[in-house]
Amino acid sequence: MRADVFVAIAILGVLSYACRFGGFFLMRYVSMTPRVEAWLRAMPIALVGAIVGPVAVNGGAPEWIGLAAAIGLMRVTGNEFVSAIGAVVLVALARAFLP
Amino acid sequence: MTAPPFTWRGFRAGLVGGMILVPGVTLYGTAFGMMAQAAGLSVFEAVFMSAWMNAGGAQMATLQAWADPVPLFAVCLTTLAMNARYLLLGAALRPWFGGLPPHKSYTSLFVMGDQNWAMSLREHAEGRRDAAFLAGSGALLSLLWISATGVGHLFGQVLGNPKTFGVDFMLAAFFITMAAAFVRRLHDIAPLVVGLVVAVIVEKLIAGPWYILAGALAGSFVGALRYKPGGDANAG
Repeated sequence: MRADVFVAIAILGVLSYACRFGGFFLMRYVSMTPRVEAWLRAMPIALVGAIVGPVAVNGGAPEWIGLAAAIGLMRVTGNEFVSAIGAVVLVALARAFLP
Repeated sequence: MTAPPFTWRGFRAGLVGGMILVPGVTLYGTAFGMMAQAAGLSVFEAVFMSAWMNAGGAQMATLQAWADPVPLFAVCLTTLAMNARYLLLGAALRPWFGGLPPHKSYTSLFVMGDQNWAMSLREHAEGRRDAAFLAGSGALLSLLWISATGVGHLFGQVLGNPKTFGVDFMLAAFFITMAAAFVRRLHDIAPLVVGLVVAVIVEKLIAGPWYILAGALAGSFVGALRYKPGGDANAG
């Protein structure tokens, strides 16, 4: 294992665990204000948007088909895994068959 | 605070209850292993990451920022942004787990994920108060997550070029469906849209993974600002 990769993953694990027990630990001493709660709640969804946006903008037809299919499948099936896998399969097919 | 029960029976109930999540976690872990392979991680590095971080969303998000050498500051902030929600999940367990001795509560928190957390709270709401349920379901899903990562990495090696099979698109596919699930709970699409637009702009202006953090911060601030006391914009 490369040293920089090992150190990075070691730190990321500590940070992940800090988030897991941080909220539980702090609630013993303080209570969360609703606004902070709203901020923390919005964080992962904003991050998801930030990752998907450039993929859509920099992608071509296969990526657009994939994203549209993921949203569509999610509306129809309501199942995250079926939707994601279905979208990936469509992207692979589009890349193979579209000019 | 009185201590809730924490027994092997509760642990076993967690193992059994967690079974319905097995197919999903297996798929998700396999997909992560394939993505990690495509991002250049060795099988040991990928499995170590799953065992030590045990956080699917954050692991996938850091892969998007991954490079050689590792951009340490960027991947740390990405992990914090994705895992910030755990602060809320952990806080919600305080009334139930607060009476436990620390070695039990803090060990349980190590295997807390979105799904087994939600399942545990449902148990609690239905009157089954054994706190070992979280540890039981978490242990099952963590072991599965770790082994599926290894299997996915091997799949990735066999498949060869990740672009042919759309492996490079998996992250976007999982995240867009995750977004659909998050939005349903939040009833508010503004943080997603702002995060998306800011990221697209920043990505054109600044090289490197900073667009992820710029979008996450901008979008989450919008979420905080849109909160109205008594309003339902952020009803969870």
